[in-house]
Amino acid sequence: MARGWVDAIVAAGAVPVSYVPEASIGRQADAAEATVAELVEDAELRTHRVDAAAPAPAAVSFLDGIQQWRVVGQSGVVPLVRAYVAAAVRRRGGDRRLRTVAERSLEFAITHVEALAAPVRRALEDSGVTVVNLAATDLGQPSRTLRAAHVQVDRAREQLERQLGERCVTDLRDGEWLIVDGLLSESELLARHPRTLGVIKSHGAQFFSGADLERALTVPAGHRTSVFAPQSHAHQPIYSWYLRLWPWEGNDLLYGLLRIEARAHRETVAAAAGASGWLVRERAPVSTPDERWDRLLYAIHDVETYLRARAPRDFLSPTASRLPRAAS
Amino acid sequence: MIQRQTPESIGRVVATELKPATPHQFHFWTANETTIGIGAIVKVEGPGAGDQGSGRVVFGVVTDGFAYSDLATPLHDVVGAEGDPAKAAERPTVRQEIRLWTAAVLRQEPEEPLQPVPLGAVYLASDADVAQALRMDAYLTGAQPTGIPVGLYTAAGHEAPVYLDADFLLGPEAAHLNISGVSGLATKTSAVEFLLASIFQHFPAHKGRIAALCFNVKGPDLCFLDRPGALDDADRRRYERLGITPQPFERVRYYAPCKADGVNLNTLRTHPDLVGDVEPLVWGLEEVLDFAEVLLNRDDIDAKADAFIDFLSDRVLNKEFDDGFGGSHRVQTFADLDGLFRAIFDGLELTGRSDMWRTHHIATIRKVRNRLSNISTRCKGLVTDDGPSNDLPWGRFEDRTVYVVDVANVDALGQDLVFARAVSKLREHLERRDLGVEAVVVFVDELNKYAPGDGPETYVRKMLLDISERGRYLGLVLFAAEQFRSQVHRRVVGNAGTTLFGRMDADELATPGYQVLSPATKIKLATLPIGELMVRHPHFTQPIFLRFPRPAVLRGRDGVERFPPATDLPFEDAVVRQLVRLDRRIRPNQVKDLIAERRPDDVRRALAAVRRTRPEDALAYFRRILGARVAPVTAPAREAVPPLNPISEEPY
Repeated sequence: MARGWVDAIVAAGAVPVSYVPEASIGRQADAAEATVAELVEDAELRTHRVDAAAPAPAAVSFLDGIQQWRVVGQSGVVPLVRAYVAAAVRRRGGDRRLRTVAERSLEFAITHVEALAAPVRRALEDSGVTVVNLAATDLGQPSRTLRAAHVQVDRAREQLERQLGERCVTDLRDGEWLIVDGLLSESELLARHPRTLGVIKSHGAQFFSGADLERALTVPAGHRTSVFAPQSHAHQPIYSWYLRLWPWEGNDLLYGLLRIEARAHRETVAAAAGASGWLVRERAPVSTPDERWDRLLYAIHDVETYLRARAPRDFLSPTASRLPRAAS
Repeated sequence: MIQRQTPESIGRVVATELKPATPHQFHFWTANETTIGIGAIVKVEGPGAGDQGSGRVVFGVVTDGFAYSDLATPLHDVVGAEGDPAKAAERPTVRQEIRLWTAAVLRQEPEEPLQPVPLGAVYLASDADVAQALRMDAYLTGAQPTGIPVGLYTAAGHEAPVYLDADFLLGPEAAHLNISGVSGLATKTSAVEFLLASIFQHFPAHKGRIAALCFNVKGPDLCFLDRPGALDDADRRRYERLGITPQPFERVRYYAPCKADGVNLNTLRTHPDLVGDVEPLVWGLEEVLDFAEVLLNRDDIDAKADAFIDFLSDRVLNKEFDDGFGGSHRVQTFADLDGLFRAIFDGLELTGRSDMWRTHHIATIRKVRNRLSNISTRCKGLVTDDGPSNDLPWGRFEDRTVYVVDVANVDALGQDLVFARAVSKLREHLERRDLGVEAVVVFVDELNKYAPGDGPETYVRKMLLDISERGRYLGLVLFAAEQFRSQVHRRVVGNAGTTLFGRMDADELATPGYQVLSPATKIKLATLPIGELMVRHPHFTQPIFLRFPRPAVLRGRDGVERFPPATDLPFEDAVVRQLVRLDRRIRPNQVKDLIAERRPDDVRRALAAVRRTRPEDALAYFRRILGARVAPVTAPAREAVPPLNPISEEPY
């Protein structure tokens, strides 16, 4: 199936190409977005030492997803994109080892079907692959079309993560927590659950300015900021705080900095110190050689490694040299 | 015998550019908590393999193991634990780890075309798989199976019997067994005892009869092979699994030289309940002369001396011989020979002839006389001056019988003589096919002493080389043991078709001969527990680790505790004991009266004659050989003779 539809469209006249967009390897950094936040702890943004001795939950599940995509054919200027998204939940029990408890993956094609040459279109439709159709307005220069394809891949991955997270959170046993890599606020079910945390590593959204911003971005290692409530109409209401895993001095302001999302509830404020305490301990073992190791929890890294190990092997590296072919 | 079980998948073959699967080696991973280890035999099933499939199946033995995590560098672990090892243990998540194993291919099915190992599922080998992997199916099935159980392959709580091929252990295809290992921990002697028992119970009927000749060279090691030893339930279970009845050897014949007194036996098996089974091993001139080279320094044996010794053997020994001076001699003993020498020297002196006697220079004759007369002194107890010999039952060897020759307390020269003569006689009889059995296993311990890789050429080493290189055609099989295989003559160990390794010394393992073993295999060898061995056999393409049960015989050191050696008996009592053993009707006082005031040499000679003849009435025969008592004659007092000339009082 994976290669079947690609071979079919090539046989039908699509020009085989091999292009792996850089963004296929990871996610695009969050676009800088200015928003406001309301403090729900303290009168002004402060820093608090985390409760280093806070007991960790007996069982924690970790949710993450991956996405991979590449352009595999051209029908004229219309690209045919092959995409793969996957998400998994791995649970850590008393033996401190992670085991997969839920997993889903999806492979699909992205193109503008109506713009394809007729034989290619027929071949694609006959192959049975799921096709995500781009809007006619997304066609044009390749960069424009690929940007649109990227959005579709992101969306598919987020949807998969959300579905898996919502299924998992309903199965959480007493005392068991779910840690989600990314925003919690994209799912109502997740955002309302008392034992679910979102861990955000990229900090495109700006919630503070001036002295508060400085305090937030210079929070010392092993400390957190006051809990605040981001004000966004696009997301579910949640509470959030910054947490520093490693000292940033000598590196950069965002080094070792996480933003945590949790249920918008007063108990969250009370629990922030304890939750931050065991989250800080999650910095070990370090998740090297990943470049984001300073804020990538090892367990999340493990889920990602698991998913990449199970992903199709022909997405990331070109199947053939990109040097011009010798004349034949 | 072989039990068939459904194997369970335990791993998966992996191959990368840096660690590819090849036709001879592959890598596979298992769960972290796995029961397999170095030496485990595994089966890989390629696509299409299985009960119905025709895909490739590969058998391999684990030769190395690796464990690693996703840790990029050790420094990152330090960073994660903030430099505190205690914190490292408190990490909330255990890193991903791998147990990666390297296996050497034992066998591929189909064998042609030979291809890299498929990247398939890995299973622990079942009994049937072990038999197939080790190519045992070729000799365990068929009309005339030739399997000899050697031990249990043990891995992951699974045991499978392993068999050697008698055609390759005992000839004629290959032969000989060599066992190495450190003293006390390698259980070399126990392994040989167990294997001999296994051979005796499983030697194929179509291959004829077999016996063993064991040289006991140290302590009481082989002195109690006919006595049951202690076995626990695990041993009994292993015996059952191997199809061997755990029992001591039914027929054991013990031989030991006498001590210098000529009547007490030079062995630790002298407890009154056991000593009756021990035959004295006594050799005379005839037995020794053919092996004079063994006893004389190489410097002594120049061409002239050698020629003279040959002359004595060919022309003098056991023949009526005229010495050329009017004397006639029939030389049968060292005493007879000395009489001949004296006659030659006297004759030459009296006749005033030249220094030559029958082309032999008198100096050569004197030299040979000195050396030969020295033999009976140095090997007193083994070599008799003038008595008849008592030898192994050449030509009458019995099937499934162990002949133990105890030379543990004999000096090195005597040991050499015993080895050389016993093995030479075996060879003579096997060549003539009149030994009584078709095959003989000769067990020699301490090969570092008897067949060292360096040092002077000795008769014993030449003899061991000869067995190693030519014995398999005759049915003469060498089972040899040593501590340091690297220091034994290369051709002796190289000709051993089967090799066993017990616990090895680390220095020994560092020598070039062990380079073919993986570091993990070496570590396993250096820490091998008692009762485990590594075996190499022509059918096995890789060394295999085995466990064998304790031999069902009394261990030497237990034997001397249960049957403590008797103290040496006085001469008279020792003679009584030997005669009573031959004839239970004899009363001690009768013997003591007979030998009272007799010369010990005469008594020894008469006793040896009784031993050799085994008459119906031993006492009567003994009395006859001893001869009538001659009453001592008191010399008449000589009368004083007065001086012819009285001594003058004149002082001048």
